[in-house]
Amino acid sequence: MTTTGLNDRVAAKREVRRIKNLPTVPGIVAKISRLVENPETSAAEVGRLITQDQVLSAKVLRMANSAFFGMSRKISSIAQALMILGFDVVKGLVLTSSVFDMIQKSMAGLWEHSIGCAAASGAVATALGRDDAEEILVAGLLHDLGKVVLALNMPEEMDLIKSKVESDNVLFYEAETAVMDFHHGEIGQWLAEHWNLPESLAEPMRLHHNPERAMVQPECTAIVHIADSIIRGWGFGYAGDPWVPPISPAAWEMLKLKGKDLPEILNILEPKLANLSELTQSGS
Amino acid sequence: MKRISVEHAQPGQILAQKLQRSDGVLLAGQGSEVTEGLLRMLTRMNIDSIVIEEENKQTPEELEETFQNRCAELEGRFARVTGLPLMAALKAALIDRARRERDEALAAILPAAEEGAAQ
Repeated sequence: MTTTGLNDRVAAKREVRRIKNLPTVPGIVAKISRLVENPETSAAEVGRLITQDQVLSAKVLRMANSAFFGMSRKISSIAQALMILGFDVVKGLVLTSSVFDMIQKSMAGLWEHSIGCAAASGAVATALGRDDAEEILVAGLLHDLGKVVLALNMPEEMDLIKSKVESDNVLFYEAETAVMDFHHGEIGQWLAEHWNLPESLAEPMRLHHNPERAMVQPECTAIVHIADSIIRGWGFGYAGDPWVPPISPAAWEMLKLKGKDLPEILNILEPKLANLSELTQSGS
Repeated sequence: MKRISVEHAQPGQILAQKLQRSDGVLLAGQGSEVTEGLLRMLTRMNIDSIVIEEENKQTPEELEETFQNRCAELEGRFARVTGLPLMAALKAALIDRARRERDEALAAILPAAEEGAAQ
């Protein structure tokens, strides 16, 4: 039984790769990655590359100026965004901007869930007093990319999963596991490998439902995991089922969070969510 | 609170967040009233949106109903995780927030004499 399950799983994985179900990495992201790999590259060069695409630059600046980051000064250029937010965060925003249409198309409410989870990840990181809140926020933004691939590239499985969520009252990832023997976390991992994303994004994508298995970025993964439950509890956006997934007590304890931290996290989150409405409209 | 575009803003609305120029200079503080002059200045400065307090036109009964509906929705979303202490704490914190919002809205519409009567 186990062997069959494993074989099916491997076959399914091969299937996913073989039929090229994975979208190609957005051209601009590949170019930035190549540029950034070279230690000689200056911020100005990366800025010039991004600025070549004006629609993309506008989207990146809109996110950089959104309530996510709570900047008191307006970031008016990509060069300034690179200076204030850093390479990794801007690269994450470029990536998010270039897959924005894909996320919008995949599932009603998933974009809202993604930006909500990003804001919640930032809120948890801030409550913990971490100085890498911006990086963790980007991981929250992209954590459900596996669902996007599933919705857009595996429509038959998607239909089966949706009916299972409704008929069996289960969480989306439980329905995925029942139907395919893997879930969007693993699809996200394949995508991350295919796109050469850093572990700080790849591990939360893969393990946000199993944070205790994270080896490379356990804290970042635990934060995105908790943020996911908080934003589902809040009722902001839609991620495929109407339920709040349980928070792993191990992840909670690893971050040394206490029950009294919850109201503080919600207080940090509330004004951010109120200000995210400008990111929920499609268009430029 | 909600973000609205400057062209839809009306004098008399209350700013829910302070307004700053891009270089950090304060234009108007949180809680201050929107005026014709402020709106003209914002248009001149190409600031296209502001965050205002949402006007509350609900009656106390409607506020209570909104609160009860939010609690019912929360119970629904948390129905699969009952009995988990951490999830109970999260649910309680979310219900507390909804209750505080109701109480603040009630305090804003009730005459001062009745303040404190709202639970």
